[in-house]
Amino acid sequence: MTTSAAGQSPDSVPRTVETEVLIIGGGATGTGIMRDLALRSIHCHLIDKQDLCAGASGGNHGLLHSGARYVFSDPHSAVECREEGAILKRLAPQCIEETGGLFVAVAGDDEAFANNFANLCEAAGIDCQEISTDEARKLEPHLSADLIKAYLVPDATIDPFRLALENVNHARELNDSTYHPHTGVIDFEISEGRIKAAICKNHHSGELLRIVAKQYVNAGGAWAMDIARLAGCDDVSLLYSKGTLLITNDRLTQRVINRLRPPADGDILVPGGTVSVLGTTSLRTDDLENSRPTIDEVNQNVIEGTAMIPSLADARYIRAFARIRPLVQNGGAGDDRSVARSFSLKDHEDQGLDNFCTITGGKLTTFRLMAEKTADLVAKRLGNSNPCLTATTPMPAGTSCRWTEPGASPKYWYEANNSDDMILCECEMVPQSAIDQIVQCAPGAEKEMTLEAIALRSRAGKGPCQGSFCGIRIGSYLYDRGYYTDRTGLHHMRDFFSERFKGMRTIIWGQQAAQMELAEALHCGLLGLDCLDDVNPSTENTQAPNQHQEDK
Amino acid sequence: MSDATVPTINFKEKAIELLPEGASFDACLTCGLCSSGCPASGIENMDPRKFIRMAMLGMNEELSSTPWVWTCTQCKRCQHVCPMNIDISQLVFLARGNWPKEKKPTGIVRSCELTRSTDSTSAMGLPPDDFVFVVNDVLEEVREQQPQFKDMVAPIDKKGAHFFVNQNSREPMSEPDEMVPLWKIFHLVGADWTYASKGWAAENFCMFSGDEEAWYEVIKTRLDATNELECAVWLNTECGHSYYTMWNAVNRFGMEANFRVESLITYYAQWIREGKLPVNSDWNTQNIKFTVQDPCQIVRKAYGDSIADDLRFVAKKLVGEENFIDMQPNRSANYCCGGGGGFLQAGMTEHRRTYGKRKFDQIMATQAEYVLTPCHNCHSQMEDIGHHYGGAYHVVHFWTLICLSLGILGENERTYLGPDLAKIGL
Amino acid sequence: MIEDKRVFTTELAVIGSGLTGMAASIYAINRGISTSLAGNTGAIAYTTGYLDLLGKADPSSCTIFADPWQAIASLRENQPHHPFARVTDEEIRLGFEEFTAFITSCGIKYSSPQEHNVMALTPAGTSKPTFSVPATMQAGVEAFAAKKHCTIVDFRGLRGFSARQFVANLQSEWPRLEAARVTFPNMEHGEIYAEVMARALEVPANREALAQEIKAVAGESEVIGVPAVLGMHNPDEVMADLARLIGLPIFEIPTMPPSVPGIRLREMFEQVFPQKGLTLVPQQKVTAVDFKAEQIQLSLRDNFGPITILAKTVLLATGRFLSGGLQAQHDGISEPLLGLHVSQSDSRDDWYRQYYMDRAGHAIHLAGIEVDDQFRPVDAHGKIVDKRLFAAGVMLAHQDWIRGRCGAGVALATAYRAVNEAHKLLQTA
Repeated sequence: MTTSAAGQSPDSVPRTVETEVLIIGGGATGTGIMRDLALRSIHCHLIDKQDLCAGASGGNHGLLHSGARYVFSDPHSAVECREEGAILKRLAPQCIEETGGLFVAVAGDDEAFANNFANLCEAAGIDCQEISTDEARKLEPHLSADLIKAYLVPDATIDPFRLALENVNHARELNDSTYHPHTGVIDFEISEGRIKAAICKNHHSGELLRIVAKQYVNAGGAWAMDIARLAGCDDVSLLYSKGTLLITNDRLTQRVINRLRPPADGDILVPGGTVSVLGTTSLRTDDLENSRPTIDEVNQNVIEGTAMIPSLADARYIRAFARIRPLVQNGGAGDDRSVARSFSLKDHEDQGLDNFCTITGGKLTTFRLMAEKTADLVAKRLGNSNPCLTATTPMPAGTSCRWTEPGASPKYWYEANNSDDMILCECEMVPQSAIDQIVQCAPGAEKEMTLEAIALRSRAGKGPCQGSFCGIRIGSYLYDRGYYTDRTGLHHMRDFFSERFKGMRTIIWGQQAAQMELAEALHCGLLGLDCLDDVNPSTENTQAPNQHQEDK
Repeated sequence: MSDATVPTINFKEKAIELLPEGASFDACLTCGLCSSGCPASGIENMDPRKFIRMAMLGMNEELSSTPWVWTCTQCKRCQHVCPMNIDISQLVFLARGNWPKEKKPTGIVRSCELTRSTDSTSAMGLPPDDFVFVVNDVLEEVREQQPQFKDMVAPIDKKGAHFFVNQNSREPMSEPDEMVPLWKIFHLVGADWTYASKGWAAENFCMFSGDEEAWYEVIKTRLDATNELECAVWLNTECGHSYYTMWNAVNRFGMEANFRVESLITYYAQWIREGKLPVNSDWNTQNIKFTVQDPCQIVRKAYGDSIADDLRFVAKKLVGEENFIDMQPNRSANYCCGGGGGFLQAGMTEHRRTYGKRKFDQIMATQAEYVLTPCHNCHSQMEDIGHHYGGAYHVVHFWTLICLSLGILGENERTYLGPDLAKIGL
Repeated sequence: MIEDKRVFTTELAVIGSGLTGMAASIYAINRGISTSLAGNTGAIAYTTGYLDLLGKADPSSCTIFADPWQAIASLRENQPHHPFARVTDEEIRLGFEEFTAFITSCGIKYSSPQEHNVMALTPAGTSKPTFSVPATMQAGVEAFAAKKHCTIVDFRGLRGFSARQFVANLQSEWPRLEAARVTFPNMEHGEIYAEVMARALEVPANREALAQEIKAVAGESEVIGVPAVLGMHNPDEVMADLARLIGLPIFEIPTMPPSVPGIRLREMFEQVFPQKGLTLVPQQKVTAVDFKAEQIQLSLRDNFGPITILAKTVLLATGRFLSGGLQAQHDGISEPLLGLHVSQSDSRDDWYRQYYMDRAGHAIHLAGIEVDDQFRPVDAHGKIVDKRLFAAGVMLAHQDWIRGRCGAGVALATAYRAVNEAHKLLQTA
């Protein structure tokens, strides 16, 4: 695995920590494994070279599939989704909104395909109810007048960030299992058919960390192949598919709206609290590190989505984001969407290692099952016979984990009615006290968190201003608290704005053009963040420039 | 005051209905200019920007029940300063109307009920006969005691009169002598005017209570009365919201008005220019300083700067150009004083005074001894905050000063003058 | 209901009431041109109060030019299409002089144009080059230059301005800088806006109370810095009075929007212009402009009905995206009022670079209206649209006012020339 840290690491003796299991990758699966193992009283460390849900887990619709989407291509997955969805709805309701879903076909779509839908759902045991197109439009006024078919299904939406936070938080509470953000594995110490230690590097501080574990789990998502190769394993073969999604300023529908046709671009519009998420595209790529939305993909999503929901043509979009989906290669070409999305768990014994495994593929909805299978293997190898408890144990709602839920912080703030708890993010109404709690005790909280890390654990920066105002207020507040004490704080602000910008670049038209102009006027004109230092950052830069060394 | 039994409005949906495209909440940049410039910001921990965001975030229960909507006077200053012209007051109005009657501030509800209780449309419930009686009674007295006005009239129900003049109930109910200065002015300029026994009153608390139907009903009575008397101009007395509730209603409800809706201020200015009201500032030998309050309902929400200019023209003529100190900001950008929107009747005294602090500071910054205003609610509020915050200024209506300037202000017509002016011309 | 139709006749109609429109109005008033000004005053309330002429000769470099005139000379060579390339140094100087003289005479004193830029302060604790500063910020410029012993005082409840932040970031260059906090009198709770404090300071009693608070934390400092709250209508008086009461010079530092220095300018213009005979239609947008042979007809509305302005010349100064002078759609940028040709990159993909802070800046900011040497808009073929139509300000193409640190410079210089050109035209007619 590569890091961009060449030449920056100080010559230091790495600190060593010991644990039972090291999990690499803080997405839904990795954090799910962490909790599963903790529930079996197995201690873990979790590392992620960026932060929670930095891969596909943080770059999807947030859709908790009823399974209906897979009845055509992958009935086995469809059933899995149905079952897992039911478990999650029961046990982690705080992460889920039971919105319901619709599958709709419009004039010109394949009617035979549409007609077959109900049967296939029934076969998979998925609730599917046909309704008239008039009824559909009554339920969802934004639907096109050209609807020809409509079916109700039990889709729901899930907040992957909250999920990851709760997983990590619960594991921490259970047995002090620890999560290290911005920490990536750069090497493994291997001898006698076992991994003895993982050498990891904190990309912010440059510090090395040596983690000695009995078992090592590769849940690196799209990076899993690279990680496996670092351990000398050739048996993980992935394809990379980039998907771009858009977020609208306003929630357009109550329910998930799916296009009833063979999967293509812009097929799904998913409500997410107060916004809607439209996507997605699927472009084969080799580039893991620089996934960015392109203008073409954005336009494509809008065009396709408009067929179902005409108001998407004129909607105000506030963000576009792209992430890489790892697709487990099973040989044979074909549309990337049709490569089986079921997961694969490799024990690497034929690669000469007996304490390493890789879990890849899969989808957000079935993360728990993926984690269960992986934890089963790991527990067995540890001689631990505790059963998996994640299908029966409710997910506790950690107080510092609630801030990602849309509407949670405004409600909290309103009810608390404390005028001295000032709002720092006006768009999403995030008060000071939420920021305080996050920096003190949210999963992955550190001595000096970046604004990006704080934003990840809250709704700050997710509204129409996309952080351009609140980044200034939050930065200022953190200085005021003595949390930032030098120019590093300004760099965090600059990096935060730059990161947010990535999401805005391709959707700057209409109102966003005004918002963006104001943002740049503030960040550069008012604050001078474009001239913070003399290093020219004009080269492509996906990671926060490492400024700590230079400023002290 | 949060109550689960208040029905919930979907504010976001309503905003889409009510607000024009481009000026919708979707266009909001969350820049905060509205909140920064709103005297209700901070009351009940709310402000206009938060209101918009809560609407967009779907916090309908909270918005449907926050008492803040009774502290926002719907002055529309937020819209005035907003680069996107977003008008939050419309949703506040909606929220008000949505409150169950028994939860609304009783003072406002009661006033609306009284307004509808007789054909007078008086918020103090003064029936037509009593109004007629008081007017005639006072008129008789003035004719007797002030010989130069022995031929003065105060017509009621004079068909075909040019001006249909309304009357704020406060005067006939509690200080009838305060009606007289305006009669004298009409007399002097030879205006062809009339009161009406039906629909004579000015105030309209039904609009403040968010009750559209009641608002309409009240206006209908007044409109019919004016149409029936075949008057060319419905002339609004020195009262702010009475102008706005009439003018806005005619458009909003598509009513047929066979008359123009105008303000007394316009005519003061006109009559002065024409020489019909030969006012001057000679009486102001002490160079007493005056400022002017721009009632939101007449200036920003209605006529705009042109009537604000007339206000100042009249004021300067009355007190002397050098004795006039404008408050800052002023005209369409002026602050609401907090007397409007039913605030004076809402029983939320502490909030009302908090709201009024900005106005108090504005007045104090001018160091003026008097505030002139053509609005009863502004008048009451500015007096109250003056007492509360320890200001020594007085608040007067224009008619008082016009008559003072012309040397015709009667002994009983000086209630609001301070000791420095009380004796002038007697 | 009978609508009230109003018709105004003027020689010059200025459309857009940002800095450019206001400057144009000043020049017009000074030249005795009967003028009307219409527009929505949005963006001006976001400005810092600093008037930038030119901070960088090359927007893609962070090298600051102490001498803006040198920077302009360099710019004329490197960016021959920049609006500055069409005006002379003399015109720029005169434009600044006239503007600052006017606003100074109206009670908001600004420093007169110099031969050099000054380094001014930002709320983040960084510094930037600017050309003319309000008198209320002058002591800050001097204190920074001389590295005086200074206490920065912030206010409880004012978000986005932290004295500690300011000090933390400037301390290495300015060691004798300290941070303190006070509570603004009678504002002990909740979120407080700079505007509210500024207006409160117009009242002597509030100044006295605040001075006490500041004295208590001033320590050994020689000078006090506060966020921009030093009055709204009489900033110079408020500053002088506070300084007297505290016993130390005091200066203000710009804040994030809503910005008091911007609101000061707006309120001042809205009062002063009508007094000086200008026809002001505030807070209303022009909806149509008809270039008839006899005259140009502009249409607007207010609450009362239609307003028509009949003018002999028109100056378009409607700004960029924020103020609605330009609009971006999926497939291009347009000028919505007159449909003028907008010079722009071929594809939306080129509007913004990949990296936000890329020193090369973003091409979208260079898009805008093309003009000839008389600052008359031209079409895609270089032909002027109407000889009576002029355009000025940041809506013009080939300048990046944000990265180039030349917003006020572009506004004033182009307004100056455009008004002079309009004047010439009016005189020949």
